[in-house]
Amino acid sequence: MNATASRVDGPLRTNRSYDERTAFIFLAPLAAVLLAVAAFPILYSFYISLYNLKLTRPQRAPFVWFDNYVAVLSDPQFWEAVERTVAFSVMGVVAIAIIALLVALLLNEEFPGRRVLSAVLLIPWAIPYVANALMWKSIYDSNYGALNGALYQLDFINNYMVWLGDSRKTLALIANAFVWKEVPLAAILLLVGLKTIPADLYAAAKVDGANMIQRFFHITLPGLKGSFALVMIYETMMAIRHFDLFFVLTEGGPGDASHVVAWRIYVETFRNLSFGIGAAMSYILALATLALSYLVIRALAQRI
Amino acid sequence: MTTSSPSLSRRTFLMTSAAGLAGATALSQSTRALAAEPIHYATWSAAVDHVKSHIAAFEAKTGIKVEYSNTPWAQFRETMVTKFVGNAPIDALWVSDSWLPEWADAGWLAPIDQYETLTAYNADVDEFCLQSMTYKGKLYGLTYYTDYMGFIYNAEILKKAGISTPPASWQEVTDQAKIIKDKGLSRYPMLVPMAQETWLIEFISAMVFSNGGRFTDDNDNAIMHDPSIGAVTTLRWLVDAVHKHKILSPSCVETGELAGMKSFSSGQHAFGLMPKYRLRTLNDPQQSQIAGHATLALMPKGDKGSHATVGWVRFYGMTPRAQANSTRLADTLKLIEWFGGKADGEYKFQKLMFKELGGGFGVKSLFQDPEMHTAYADYGDIDLIDKQRSLTRKKDVVTPWFGEWNDVNGSAWQQAILARVTPERALTASAAKWSALKKRA
Repeated sequence: MNATASRVDGPLRTNRSYDERTAFIFLAPLAAVLLAVAAFPILYSFYISLYNLKLTRPQRAPFVWFDNYVAVLSDPQFWEAVERTVAFSVMGVVAIAIIALLVALLLNEEFPGRRVLSAVLLIPWAIPYVANALMWKSIYDSNYGALNGALYQLDFINNYMVWLGDSRKTLALIANAFVWKEVPLAAILLLVGLKTIPADLYAAAKVDGANMIQRFFHITLPGLKGSFALVMIYETMMAIRHFDLFFVLTEGGPGDASHVVAWRIYVETFRNLSFGIGAAMSYILALATLALSYLVIRALAQRI
Repeated sequence: MTTSSPSLSRRTFLMTSAAGLAGATALSQSTRALAAEPIHYATWSAAVDHVKSHIAAFEAKTGIKVEYSNTPWAQFRETMVTKFVGNAPIDALWVSDSWLPEWADAGWLAPIDQYETLTAYNADVDEFCLQSMTYKGKLYGLTYYTDYMGFIYNAEILKKAGISTPPASWQEVTDQAKIIKDKGLSRYPMLVPMAQETWLIEFISAMVFSNGGRFTDDNDNAIMHDPSIGAVTTLRWLVDAVHKHKILSPSCVETGELAGMKSFSSGQHAFGLMPKYRLRTLNDPQQSQIAGHATLALMPKGDKGSHATVGWVRFYGMTPRAQANSTRLADTLKLIEWFGGKADGEYKFQKLMFKELGGGFGVKSLFQDPEMHTAYADYGDIDLIDKQRSLTRKKDVVTPWFGEWNDVNGSAWQQAILARVTPERALTASAAKWSALKKRA
C-alpha cells in the first residue's frame, strides 16, 4: 500500500514542484514590477516620513523618528481637516447608498426604455473626474452658472446666489458633485446584487401575503447586504481620499472651508514641498482608511 | 596559370580591425568634443513659438546650441525644484520674483553681479525690477517680463452715472460705486478677484500699499496686523464693500484673475483691480464687450497712502552649473543677454513680446521708443501708464517662507471677507504664521 502510494506520489510531487517552479518563473517579472512600482514607493514613503525632509533644503534632512506624526496629530488644523473629511464622506456615502439603491430598484424592473436609461445613467461614471469637476464649477458659478440660471428662471431666487464662495454650502456642493459621479457604479453593483436574489423568495412571500414594503425589508435588503458592504467600503475609501473635486472646484477655499485631509496632504507635499510631513499625513490617512474598512467589513460580515 | 591572391592572415586581420576600431572611436570622441554641449534653457509654457524663433536666431548667429524645454506655469516651481534636487542639467531659466529667496538660499541660482555684459543693463531697468531681482544684496537676473496691478474703470458706466472723473481715493471709490449701484447700472460696481491663487497677494498688496500700509518692516518682521501701518485698513475696506455697502460681490472669494477679467469685459463692473496688461484685452473688440471704454486710472489712495501699486517680475536667471565651465558660462551669458538684453543692438525680444502678446517690459528706454508709443496708444494713455509704473513697488513678503505663509494669509483674508472672523483677527493669525515661519527658517 505504502509502496503503491509512494509510486504514485513520486511523479506527482515532481510534477507539482515543476509546475510551481514554472509558475514562479512566469510570475517573477510581474512580481518584480509590482515590487518596484507599488511596494518600494510604499516603504520608501514611510522611510521619508521619518525625516524632516523639505525639498527646498535637501541638504538639511535630519532623521526625526516619529516627530512628523506627532506634529501632524498635534496640529489643530489637521483635526479640523479630519472633521471636514468625515462630514464630506458621511454626506457623500449616505447619499450615494440611498440614490444608488433607488436607481438599482428602478433598473431591476421591466419597462420600455430600460436599456436606454441604463446606458444614460452610466454617463457620469464614464466622465473623468477633472472633467466632471470643471462641469460642476461652471454649473455652480455665481455669475453665469446654470444652477443660478435655472433657479432664477423658475422664480426660486430673486438674485443670483453665491454657491461655492459661501463657506456654509461649500462641502455639501462638492459632495453633490461627488455623488453625481459615483452613483452609477454603486447602482450597478447593487443591481448585480438584486439579480442574485432568487425570484422564488418573492413568489413565496406573495403567497404568504407579504406586501411590497414587507418584501423589500425582509427579502430585498437582506439579500443586498453583500453588495451594500462592497458599495459602502469602496465609496467610503473614495470619499476619504478624494482630491480632484477639491482641487478644481475650490482649491481648499473659501477660507479653509474645504480643507480636507487629502487637500492638506497636497499642500504640504507639493506646495510647501515638505515631503516628510506630507508622507506622515498620507500614512495617517491610509491607516485610518484601512482601519475603517476593516471595521465596516467586520460589522457587515457578522450580519451576512 | 595560377593567380596569387593576397593572403590575409588571422593576426593581420585582427590587428587591422583593432586599429580601425580604435581610430573610429578616437575620431568620434574628438568630433563629440568639437560639438560643444548645448545650453539647457528651461521656461514655463508661455510664448513658446516666440521663444523658439528667438532661439533659432541665436543659434544661427552664434553657433551655440540650445536645448529648450518648457513646463506649464502651474507646475513650474515644483518641476524645477525636483530637477534641481535631481541635478538635472539646467543653465538658464525663467524665474519668478516670488521664488528667488527660496532658490537662491538653496544654492540653485547664481548671482550675475560679476558679469558686466549683463549688469550693463541695470541703468535701463526699472528700480522695482532691480529690487525684485536682488536678494541679500546680490542681483540674480535680467528682466523677462514685468507688470503692475492697475486700477481700471469702465468709462461708459461712469458717464451714464454722471461721474466726470474717476476716483482718486478709496473713499471716492465707495461713493461712486454706491451712486452707480443706486442708479441700477451695476449690481456690484467694484471687482477685486480674491480667489486663493497666485494673483491674490498682488491684488491685496496693491491695495495695502496704496493705503500706506505694509505687510512687513525692513527687517522682515510681520506688521500686517498693526492698525496704523499694516493691512487692517485695506481688509476692513474690503469687508465693508461686501457686507455694508454691497458694492463688491461676496463671490469675489471664488473669482480668480481670469474670471474677473472676463466678468469686467462683459460690462458687469465699473471699477476693477487687474494686471495692467489686461487693458489690451479689455479694449479689444474681438474679446471684450467694453472695448474702447476700459481706462487706466492711478491706484486710488487711502487716507494715509499714495497712488502706489505693486509690481512683479519674471526674469532670466542662471544656475551654478552654468558657471562651472568657462565655455558654458560664456554661452549662457550670451543667451541671457540675447533674451533679456539687446539682440543685434536692440531690445528685440521685449518688443516682440509686447507687440505680439502685450507682455510688459522693465526697460525704461522702451517707453521713449516711437514704435512702442504707437502700440501702447492703441489701448491706453502711455503717460499715465508710465506714471503709475514710476509708483510701483516690489512685494514686501517675498522671503524663503513666502509660499507657505501665502496660503495661510490668503485663507485669512477670505475668512474675514466671509465675515467668519474680524479683519483684525485674520491679520493677527496671518502675522502669527509669518513669525512662526520666520523663526523656523
